[in-house]
Amino acid sequence: MQLRRWPGVALLASMFGWVSAPARAQVAEVDVRTQIFHEPSATSRMTVYTPEVNIEASPSEAVRVFASYQADAVTGASEAVKAGPLLSNVPDIVSRASVRDFRQIATGGVALTREHARVSASYTYGTENDYRSNSFAVSAGTDFLQRNTDVELGYSKGFDDVCSLRQRNLPTTLRPGLDSSDGCFTSSERTESLPISLDNFRVGWTQTWTPVFTTQLIFTGALQHGFLGNPYREVVISSAGESAQENHPEDRRRAALGLGLKYYSRSLETAFGVTARGYRDSWELQSFTAELTAERYLQPWLRLFVHGRAYAQSGASFWSDDYTGGEPATGPRGQFWSGDREMSPLQTLLAGMTLTGSWRAAGDARWIGVFREFSAGVSMDLLATFLQDFTWAGAKPDDTVVLLPSLGATGSF
Amino acid sequence: MVERQSEAPSALPPSEPGAALRVLLAMGLLAALLAAGCAPVRPEQRAILADRIMQFGADARERAALEHALENREGSVGAGSVQGGGCGCN
Repeated sequence: MQLRRWPGVALLASMFGWVSAPARAQVAEVDVRTQIFHEPSATSRMTVYTPEVNIEASPSEAVRVFASYQADAVTGASEAVKAGPLLSNVPDIVSRASVRDFRQIATGGVALTREHARVSASYTYGTENDYRSNSFAVSAGTDFLQRNTDVELGYSKGFDDVCSLRQRNLPTTLRPGLDSSDGCFTSSERTESLPISLDNFRVGWTQTWTPVFTTQLIFTGALQHGFLGNPYREVVISSAGESAQENHPEDRRRAALGLGLKYYSRSLETAFGVTARGYRDSWELQSFTAELTAERYLQPWLRLFVHGRAYAQSGASFWSDDYTGGEPATGPRGQFWSGDREMSPLQTLLAGMTLTGSWRAAGDARWIGVFREFSAGVSMDLLATFLQDFTWAGAKPDDTVVLLPSLGATGSF
Repeated sequence: MVERQSEAPSALPPSEPGAALRVLLAMGLLAALLAAGCAPVRPEQRAILADRIMQFGADARERAALEHALENREGSVGAGSVQGGGCGCN
């Protein structure tokens, strides 16, 4: 575990050495933003505050170094035991526990740009009470055909660890869920860390067709291996009410293909966008997403972005709302069990808007004496989820609407 | 004690999202063919394309924050936009 961090530490050290080179940076940018994820339900009241700081500097025209810090402060309540409708007459079969967690992510990297090519590399470290992540990412892109065609390749490798009870010698049907993060990532005999390996690939092709029409085709793939469930969550797997820790397959192969189109209407002075995405993975979860966007300048310094998005997914092959007798004991639903609503068939609808003001100082002047450029934005999104086959012991969840307000500001010096 | 047996997941019949993937792939191939015979956009014609409202990934940070929220409520990820795109603005 320690050895894995050394390359990242070296990268961060070299990056900060670059940043601190005196009087070399021609342009520096600071970006601060925060998003709130709030579910106004009677049961969970889940709220996540996500503050974020991004810093960039360009020591030369061809070099850009960047670093960011992001946190998730989580409060609310979450169901620790999932049961299906067949046990709806059992009192308190679904238990609920309060959740308080704090996740932190730090990223550092460097990007090099030439006239028609660019490469970048970054390292990310994330930590929370029960999860650690290390990730290296590289990407390279080039444009050609008079800049009308652009191709980008990307790859990232993640080495994560999740905390669970020390119970690998037990059959999966007898493993309880983690009750707290006490002792996680220590020498405690109670817990152990389970590794997760993540490989992500990305290919993007952007094509300009006319002075007002451009498209982008993207393929992404991911290979995941390790403990891919929620270590806290238990699922009731017998009609007597016995439950066991959520048990997902240890391998998952994921693929997604997206096509985006952007068209500028001169008569409406608005840029319209359409995006379609198809997704499939080895758990046989499939989804389709469609999104419409429109963006225009209300004033030379003020622009409005609005969008609507529809999403539909099937359930995973092993998904069942009730593992206690409503499903066969063999096959995917006999081998694996899940209490994760994301594994169930569902649809979501998203609508939102962003208003952004931008100011640029003329020549060498500074806006309000400080910034070469400054922009600030406010947005609000509303996400509604329609669960087709998910209940808490027969009761429909009420935490299916999410409010996502956010604020952001960026200044260039 | 619950007794359960292991068995490889069975294949599901083809469904609409799978068909959507094939449609998207076909659209991409069609676009590639069109690109081969398309007259390129000249640098002096890029005034609109160079504006950030026509750039894919220009709002990458805002989008990443939104995707982060969506990942907590949906079972699939990937194929979001990437920055770059031959705007020819520098």
